Amino acid sequence: MPKRTGRILCGSGLVLLALVLALSAAGVSGSKELKTIVIDPGHGGMDLGAKGKFGTLEKNITLAVSFKLKALIERNLPYRVVLTRDKDIDVSMENRSAIANNNDAVLFISIHTNGSFRKMAQGSETFFLSLNAPDEETRKLAYMENTSSELEKQIEDKNKDEVKMILWDMAQSAYIKQSSQLAEEIQKELNIFLGTENRGIKQAPFKVLKGVACPAILVEVAFISNPEEEQKLIKDDFQRKVAEAIYQGLKKYTKLFS
Amino acid sequence: MDRTKAILFFVLVFLLVVLAFIFFKNSGSERIKKPGEIPQPAVSTQAPIEKSTRKVTLFFLREEDSRLVPEERNIVSDPSTVREAEEVIAELIRGSQTGLVSSLPAETKLVQLFITKEGVAYVDFSKDLVDKHPSGSAAEISTVYSIVNSLAYNLKPIKKVFILIEGEERETLGGHISLDHPFLPDYSLIVKE
Repeated sequence: MPKRTGRILCGSGLVLLALVLALSAAGVSGSKELKTIVIDPGHGGMDLGAKGKFGTLEKNITLAVSFKLKALIERNLPYRVVLTRDKDIDVSMENRSAIANNNDAVLFISIHTNGSFRKMAQGSETFFLSLNAPDEETRKLAYMENTSSELEKQIEDKNKDEVKMILWDMAQSAYIKQSSQLAEEIQKELNIFLGTENRGIKQAPFKVLKGVACPAILVEVAFISNPEEEQKLIKDDFQRKVAEAIYQGLKKYTKLFS
Repeated sequence: MDRTKAILFFVLVFLLVVLAFIFFKNSGSERIKKPGEIPQPAVSTQAPIEKSTRKVTLFFLREEDSRLVPEERNIVSDPSTVREAEEVIAELIRGSQTGLVSSLPAETKLVQLFITKEGVAYVDFSKDLVDKHPSGSAAEISTVYSIVNSLAYNLKPIKKVFILIEGEERETLGGHISLDHPFLPDYSLIVKE
């Protein structure tokens, strides 16, 4: 009897061992293929973005924050981070979303600092895409969901590009709900870490978000047009807090979906 | 007696000439009028005074909370919606009378405006709207909806607004809000009181 129990134990042990090995192997190969988060430092090159009274340029702040955020994510989370630009260059709106889609990004985060006409406006807000003209958008979306692949077969080649353009332009439509959740998580952390006025989460038809085929948001951290907030934005310590806030927000979001 | 009559006659004639001179001078010198047309300029000088006005509600920016705040204004009423729309835009550029912020830079000029039969107003601005714009999501949202809401709220035939720059569709004003489609008004941005 003990002999038999031993054999069973040994056998089941082997099976277990094989299982564990197989699982860990899968894990290893999985970690080789890290999922990608795309961070988009707003503006760049000729496009300076908003300007501060003391001469601070939005494009420089967004890049500095993006580097800090990339480092934080790659140090602490199992993701690869791709930036839409890592130096002071022009990148078109289409290319920014294309970088996300070509890398199969699971999250897209566009980083900006806000600007207004005078110096009064202040605070931080997080945007996700709004679908303007709901009737038309709904129709386009329905068309995309139900018939796109079938239609594509029937459409003459000369018209194919146009159809693909419509589909591309609508890519974000399928992720509005997740994007709003991501915006909410990040906005909460901005309020905690920065202590800037809470302008909340909002929807608007952002060019850069339209074509992104994953949850996507645009953060507007403080107003560079407000001299007090401009002074904060140029400080390394404040930029670190911005990165930390966005990092905490996206970490909480990814936990919701894992 | 005859002599005083003659003097009186000359004085009267002189007065008439002076009056006629003043009259012609005031009634627009671009047209040369024959004496037979004298009653007509009298009517046309009356017309601008009688032109009726209408009240419109413009939406300007309150920067503290980025809300759009209504401000009433009288414009010359016109049977043409296009004319009235042009006046609304002109007033937006002229700016607030109550200390609010105009989301259209003062240098901006309206190039042209037309309305399709489907109710889409195409509003074409000079490049100043882009060049003098401060950039930033908040600024762009307030510019777009100050224009769209002010037009759609006052002019019933206008359902949507397409913003053009120097005759062409533009991607964005400063890198944020997409201008590649006509906008419906968004009255949720207006201050709640």
